[in-house]
Amino acid sequence: MRRYHLDEVIGPVVLVVAAALLGTLVSISTQTYFTDTLVKVAIVVALYVFIGNSGVLSFGHISFVALGAWTAGVLTVPPSEKPAIMPNLAGFLQHRHVDNVESLLLAALVGGIAAFLVGIPLMRLSGLAAGIATFAVLEISHNLLQYQERIGPGLNAFSSVPETTGLRQAAIGAVVCIVVAFLYARSRFGRLLRATREDDAAARAVGASVYRQRLIAFTVSGFLAGLGGGLYVHLLPVQVNSVYLDLTFITLAMLVVGGATSLFGAVVGALAVSALDSWLSVAENGTSLFGWHIDLPAGTAEIVVGVLMAAVLILRPSGLTGGRELRLRGVSWRAFASRAQA
Amino acid sequence: MNLVVENLDVRYGGVHAVRGLSLTVEPGEIVGLIGPNGAGKSSTLHAIMGLAPATGSVRLGDRELLGLRPEDVARSGVALVPEGRRIFAELTVEENVRLGFAGRRARGGADLEPVYDLFPIVREFRSRQAGALSGGQQQQLAIARALVAEPDVLLLDEPSLGLAPSVVDVVFEALAAIKERGYAVLLVEQRAQRTVAAADRSHVLANGDLQLTLGPQDAGDTEKLVAAYLS
Amino acid sequence: MTVTWQNLADGLLLGSVYALMAVGIGLVFGVLRLVNFAYGQLVMAGAFALALASEWGWPAWAGIVLCFAVVLALSAAMEWVVFRPLRGHSPAVMLVATFAVAFLLQSIALLWFGSLGKIATSLTFLGRFWTIGGVDIRKIAIVAVIVAGVCLLLLSLLLERTEIGLHMRAASMDFSTARMLGVRANRVISFAVLISGALAAVVAVMLTVQTPLVTPDFALRDTIVVLAGVVVGGLNRPIPATLGGFAIGFASGVLGGALPTAQSQYLPTFVFVAVILVLLVRPRGLFDFSRTVERV
Repeated sequence: MRRYHLDEVIGPVVLVVAAALLGTLVSISTQTYFTDTLVKVAIVVALYVFIGNSGVLSFGHISFVALGAWTAGVLTVPPSEKPAIMPNLAGFLQHRHVDNVESLLLAALVGGIAAFLVGIPLMRLSGLAAGIATFAVLEISHNLLQYQERIGPGLNAFSSVPETTGLRQAAIGAVVCIVVAFLYARSRFGRLLRATREDDAAARAVGASVYRQRLIAFTVSGFLAGLGGGLYVHLLPVQVNSVYLDLTFITLAMLVVGGATSLFGAVVGALAVSALDSWLSVAENGTSLFGWHIDLPAGTAEIVVGVLMAAVLILRPSGLTGGRELRLRGVSWRAFASRAQA
Repeated sequence: MNLVVENLDVRYGGVHAVRGLSLTVEPGEIVGLIGPNGAGKSSTLHAIMGLAPATGSVRLGDRELLGLRPEDVARSGVALVPEGRRIFAELTVEENVRLGFAGRRARGGADLEPVYDLFPIVREFRSRQAGALSGGQQQQLAIARALVAEPDVLLLDEPSLGLAPSVVDVVFEALAAIKERGYAVLLVEQRAQRTVAAADRSHVLANGDLQLTLGPQDAGDTEKLVAAYLS
Repeated sequence: MTVTWQNLADGLLLGSVYALMAVGIGLVFGVLRLVNFAYGQLVMAGAFALALASEWGWPAWAGIVLCFAVVLALSAAMEWVVFRPLRGHSPAVMLVATFAVAFLLQSIALLWFGSLGKIATSLTFLGRFWTIGGVDIRKIAIVAVIVAGVCLLLLSLLLERTEIGLHMRAASMDFSTARMLGVRANRVISFAVLISGALAAVVAVMLTVQTPLVTPDFALRDTIVVLAGVVVGGLNRPIPATLGGFAIGFASGVLGGALPTAQSQYLPTFVFVAVILVLLVRPRGLFDFSRTVERV
């Protein structure tokens, strides 16, 4: 009988909702940081679905974020603006227009399909080879999106996309990703994949197909990454270099710092690192903390996050959460029961 | 210098491979360590060499070896001929032998003649790729490599494994010669009878515990051996 | 597409540079089983050292000394702070860690020097041209090939003829057995890191002649391309890795100049598709014909 540990999903959802509520209390300009954080949660959860469950490193997921962003962006820029930013857009894309929710769904779909196609050859690889191959995917998508002006703005930024990703949309998107990730992880597929992560030979012996399970996870995570991209493009003007190495690095850092092998870790990592990064970015423009004026030089944020990531990897590779999920009931009942017996 | 093992305990995660083992090997003697698979024989040698986590005491003369890094144990005067030989197939025979010098304590030029006397094939196939040698030849190379380090103690992990009987003879003859030269030899083997016959003392290890100690006179006594193995 | 002598010279220069980088990366991989994503940052640090030296008006030789000092110090720091604690961890963790270090160093450079970068002028005399048979060839192309050749020759002598070289070779084949024989792990690793650093410094010097403007993302793209070349050539053996590095450098250099812009834009795509194909079809590498198979 399958047991869904619902407490595993409650924790992350509560954190996200709390963050969103907190965001309603601050000024409009600060709110953008909160919204950005929630979108990052969505992306990092997407990463977790594949990396956390399979144990295989992927540097290429931001490609799917980019594709999702491109899809949602191209289809929601008002047709009157299109010739200005995307003069060479292919015919059928020039006149197509969809509304907000549709764009997000299509973004997710494109992300998922792309991940599936890429995964078909790549899921046979492990370890270092997988890392390099997925890096190659990132490079290829970056190169293509940069110069292909028939499918998007090329080197220009997506400037006229309706800014529909506010706190609510970002929070809903993040929660959707968390729920999907949870359902996947608790499903037979997720458990089979995690079995292969622990002991490849043993899992194969009981019939788990490593390739198939990885492909499924890769596709689901591509779907979620695409959704993240759609959310992202509706938040700020996305440019080809903002969905490339920097984003890859920071989302990986968030996952590692939080704890790569758990959903809770992904969410905690995203919230914590993003909060730190946002605060440091604000400090770069001059801010005050407890009455002291702080003005950090530009670029400090990346350095601190980089040091943090390296430190966590060296000192506590399992991350802040130790890679474990948040179990509420199990812990308290056991403690209660043992105290009652004493 | 002699090798003194006291209360050696080796644990791999949840597995207790060796429990409180104690033995001594004096210069000029061969001490055998026999027993069924999984008894903890290899683990003992690995622990002495610093390749496995262990508690207890392993002393070479008055120097404590437990806790040292493998390269430091080697440089203290202990040489291991590992299970499966583990020679470097892509290096030449001569390069393999030269690697053995890494464990040498003495300064100055090494005299390879005594080693070449024991194992003429090492001189003969000097420039060949080590991977091209047969199993028996590789075993001789592995022992030669250990000897050029001029150790006080020689550890051998199942040297006769996978070798034809005639080659096994060569190996055991070499061991007798090595013993004559004053090395302290700890020999782990599956071939109980030959070991018991060749060694001054043979300890039977089963389930990590030392069950029984046999002398060469017990070599013909199959009942005793079988009982020891199965206990 | 017409290939000029200039294109070939560019190819030779880039090929030599990438070949040296491939060796640098390969040496550390051999003994640590760690791919150092941050290798390009060592080159960048060296290049910035050269730029600072030229800014301060130092003579060329002093700039080169500073370059070597900075790069070697940084390699040693990387080894101590990052590689040593991570020894024995999974390849995935090590990969992410060096990625983090690469990013960290790039961010520091951005902070310190700004995105506009600095110019290293002391060796520009090598950027000038020789005219050979009516064709203009940059001196640096010839010098690069010679320097790379000499470095590789010295390195192979070191590996084949010296004791420490033997120890390094053995360590990269089977580290635990080597240690068991008495090979000192720390010494071998430090030596590999040292040589790897020296090569990075040489590369920095050569690259600054080709591209005097040093920016913080100097050599990050190069590391990625070299890694691609090393993987395509054969990560596990030194000669195939070097050939792979040279091949990809040469190809990039020639095609980068010879292809019309519309097509050369997509050069990275072709390169990386090739990398994926090789990883799928012949994971050992194109140039690796040895019999021993190692897991990648």
